[in-house]
Amino acid sequence: MTERKHRNRTGHGHAVAFSISYQRDDLLARGLGIEHLRELLVRLARPVVRAGAGIAYDGAWRDEPGNFTFVLLQLINAEREDNVTGGPDTGLQIGGLVNHLAWPNYLEVTPAIEARWIHCCRIVRVTQEDAGLTDLVADDQAKSGSDPALWNAAVTLSAMRRLSPHSRSISIPDAASERIVGPRARIVLGGKLAGYRGFLPGVLEEVLVALEAQIPLYVLGGFGGVAEAVAQAFRDRTVTPPLTMAWNDQQAPELKRLRESGFNLPPSGLVRAADTMLAELRRRATEDRPLAEKFATGLDEHDTAELMSTSDPDRAVQLVRRGLERTLGIRAG
Amino acid sequence: MEPARARRCQARDNVARVATVTHQVPEIFVLWHPACELGETLASKIYAWLRPENGLGPQVFYRSAPAPEAPPRGLPPPLPGEQRAGRVTTPQRRGENLQILIVLADAHLVADPTWRAWLRQLAVDGASSVRRVFIPVALDGTAFNVPPPLGERNFLRPTGANEPDRAERERLVTRSLLKQLTEVLCRLLLRDGASDPEDDSGPKIKVFLSHAKVDGTSPAKSIRDHIYSQTQIAAFYDENDIPFGQAFARVIDQAVSTDTAALIAVQSAVYHRRPWCRFELSRFRRPIADAALPQHWRLPPVLVVDAIAGGESSRGIPELGNAPIVRWKEDAGTAAEQAEEIVTTVLREAVLAAFHHAAGRALHPRPGPGEVVTNWLPDPVTLLPIVAKHGEKLVVHYPGRGLSGLELDILFELFPAISFRSFEESLP
Repeated sequence: MTERKHRNRTGHGHAVAFSISYQRDDLLARGLGIEHLRELLVRLARPVVRAGAGIAYDGAWRDEPGNFTFVLLQLINAEREDNVTGGPDTGLQIGGLVNHLAWPNYLEVTPAIEARWIHCCRIVRVTQEDAGLTDLVADDQAKSGSDPALWNAAVTLSAMRRLSPHSRSISIPDAASERIVGPRARIVLGGKLAGYRGFLPGVLEEVLVALEAQIPLYVLGGFGGVAEAVAQAFRDRTVTPPLTMAWNDQQAPELKRLRESGFNLPPSGLVRAADTMLAELRRRATEDRPLAEKFATGLDEHDTAELMSTSDPDRAVQLVRRGLERTLGIRAG
Repeated sequence: MEPARARRCQARDNVARVATVTHQVPEIFVLWHPACELGETLASKIYAWLRPENGLGPQVFYRSAPAPEAPPRGLPPPLPGEQRAGRVTTPQRRGENLQILIVLADAHLVADPTWRAWLRQLAVDGASSVRRVFIPVALDGTAFNVPPPLGERNFLRPTGANEPDRAERERLVTRSLLKQLTEVLCRLLLRDGASDPEDDSGPKIKVFLSHAKVDGTSPAKSIRDHIYSQTQIAAFYDENDIPFGQAFARVIDQAVSTDTAALIAVQSAVYHRRPWCRFELSRFRRPIADAALPQHWRLPPVLVVDAIAGGESSRGIPELGNAPIVRWKEDAGTAAEQAEEIVTTVLREAVLAAFHHAAGRALHPRPGPGEVVTNWLPDPVTLLPIVAKHGEKLVVHYPGRGLSGLELDILFELFPAISFRSFEESLP
């Protein structure tokens, strides 16, 4: 047999993060359904996985239509199975999934679920202590709907979004610690405009963290959701509603009430106030710099702007792949 | 040139001519009124049917909910190239596209003045830079009252809409709709120049049924009966389709080569031993170069029906390569249903093959020296004729997102000088 590698390993040692969520009405108004989002995610993730890079996606594990965790797990599983047949690529690394989960969401993941996907996925649990909280809520009170439970869940979620982009070591009792590689780029599409958990929509916070970390950021604005609002704000250098505190207070009135009734963020500074984050986003959106530079896409200005507005899945895939090749050297194929 | 070979070459030329299916890349838009009960489900099923295996087919987009910028109860986003409010939207995709509009018509759509005006406008949108074809679907009895010229067309009429149970209603309507839709798309994409799905002036789309008569004829006959009683296509079934006095080989060669969309091989225990079956199969599994662009190759689809009875054994047939296989269940009660599934599936394969051919031409309009483009996933058997013509040092561009590592291992072992690149990998 010719000893020829079919898959390149240009992504080895890297991880690429995905921010994606589904909102039916918003997507349908753009002529698309969940099928489009699911397929787009697979088309974007597959070359990354095949090239040996990891995927970072902090989705929940509920088996429901808008959940993409299982889509990614099935993709990784299929690629790994395809890599054990004794051919020249056997034994080479296929990217896996790193899934950060904030309290109390990780309580839903049973050992049986985790064991089933352990060959494809590493779950990193972010606890209330990790978030710097001291007034802890017991696990069995997590779903009580009490004010402390609501507040601590929002704080821990925000902490997770601040922690997950960074490489770090995880301590394991009586075993060597494990190093989790932080993502070197982030791809953003969709994003909930209503019914999200936390102080801000996840996509907004993840966009801000990526901008601050100065990693390549690919915002696919043509597929609706918060990603579209972000794309529009940066493209037009304007303030779109999701970038305002008034809009977010309207979406999450319970958290507004708690904030006003004296609930405070932990003093560690890990979690920042929503209005501070929004102000920073607005500043970055309206500052006078080219988009390609702000987002470090590796694309030229025209292509970056097109990526942020196109609703053509082929074109979006093409541009993200081109950007990842230029910035991280990850090649498809 | 000796006569038999000359005939084969002539047949090949004919294939290239007839098979010059549409060169425009088809894009599908499913339109339904937001209040239509089954609209979203049907659209989702159409998407899954036409884009199997994570998108191996034409793009399918939806038009239902009002666009973000539209007023309440306003219109969905405009179609690429549509003229709306005096403004032409930019075509979304590059190249020349064929827009296929599947209109799921029901009372809500018919009664809504906004939608009526939109459909009327779309039908006469002369400024559009894209070719647009309508396929209206009647979901209830009022659907035929859509405005002309759409209302004057022959609608798809899926059955089962009156079934009281919702889940069963969805299942029945979906099944019936996909069957009819697949047939229309096949006619539209495979008949050279047919811009109107109602244009029935050309020869009927034909499916070749390859089977060993010595087996008895149960599955093949069920499939043939379905084709003649339930579809608007034709079947090439047996010697009855050969005019008296003509040579079997020549007629079969001609039928296989020139006017047949696909072949269904009913594989029994003795199929591999029947010379005419093998002849038919080998003719169909031989790729054909495009007359105008000889580096573009196409292969009509083959679907294998595994009709080997329990306990019987048979041998594999190398010509089959990676052709898809479906199992025939020996159950008289389900024969009609199985026959329908098989015919609809093979026609879907023909639609996808036509799409891949058009997509390959759009993606690689002028392949470089040593490059070829196929409209199927390559396997060793179907690569041999291409290698015989172009030599062993090649880049093969093929549809889809990429072959599995196992398939690549086998291909590299047999063709070490060939590089394989999927259409997805070839996106510039």
